[in-house]
Amino acid sequence: MRNYIAAVFDDSRKAYEALHQLWELDGSGDITVHGTGVVHRDELGLIQVDTKETHPVLGTAIGVGVGALLGALAGPVGAAGGAGIGAATGGTLGMIADLDRADTRQEAADETGFVLGVGQSAVIADVSEDWTTPIDSRIHKLGGKVYRRPRSDIRDDAWYSPAYPYGYYLYPYEYVPPPYAC
Amino acid sequence: MAQQATASAKPGNEAKVKDAIEHLRSATQDLHKSISDAAAKRSGVTKADVAALAEKTKSVVRSAKATIDTQKGNVAKHLTDAVKHLEATQANLSDSLKATGTTLDTSVKKGLMEARASAQKISEAVAEKRAANSAKTK
Repeated sequence: MRNYIAAVFDDSRKAYEALHQLWELDGSGDITVHGTGVVHRDELGLIQVDTKETHPVLGTAIGVGVGALLGALAGPVGAAGGAGIGAATGGTLGMIADLDRADTRQEAADETGFVLGVGQSAVIADVSEDWTTPIDSRIHKLGGKVYRRPRSDIRDDAWYSPAYPYGYYLYPYEYVPPPYAC
Repeated sequence: MAQQATASAKPGNEAKVKDAIEHLRSATQDLHKSISDAAAKRSGVTKADVAALAEKTKSVVRSAKATIDTQKGNVAKHLTDAVKHLEATQANLSDSLKATGTTLDTSVKKGLMEARASAQKISEAVAEKRAANSAKTK
């Protein structure tokens, strides 16, 4: 089954350990990882996405996609906030001035806070898995919490929009930025 | 479970084919990583970078085409889609070789997006193959 997951941690280093565990599970054939990304929520409630800072347009897509996906993982209730938080992230990256609005950021913080709290980090992944035990057991061992939704459910949601390109901001390999690399 | 399928896979052609898809996936991931690294350079991507990437892409396209011939059904379909994206990557990188400035950057970015799409398609082929092997062992 193809699922989107978010594994949430209080510590960003744990999120990177979890990222490594996911790719390890892929290597052993337990799951297939299609893409991963790591996000953090700072003390102001803004979502930061770890990327290679490639291109402004890509950066914006990354922000919008992550926010929309976090909302989607929270379920239908989080959908509206997801779109908002995506916009806020785009603003965080400084790509589109219109999106950097305090009210949008606040709305996003309020509505998706139950997925990613202030100071928390998450690894987001698009995976194929026959059963949930391999991922759940590894993430729980690291002290994280797993949110999961089938990809088909997310695509069937009424609010789903191709404008939020989930698959296009996740790295198709294990990417750890320098501050977290051992 | 996929790991059981891996462990119990019959030796011979099937095992070799599975290895071929997974090797292809690694090569495509590496290609995406190389293009992404080049695109992220603060000093900007150079013609030498692009020429090396174009060569790398050519080699991955060749491997992908060879792998399709050994596959059937959805696995072959995903690989065929992947080849289309890889060829588009190659075309964009070739355009980059003739371009300068913003046009050069734009072509490389387009190539990066196509490489990402090809990596996704090959991952789907890998997942399909693992699921099929898993079903066989149940």
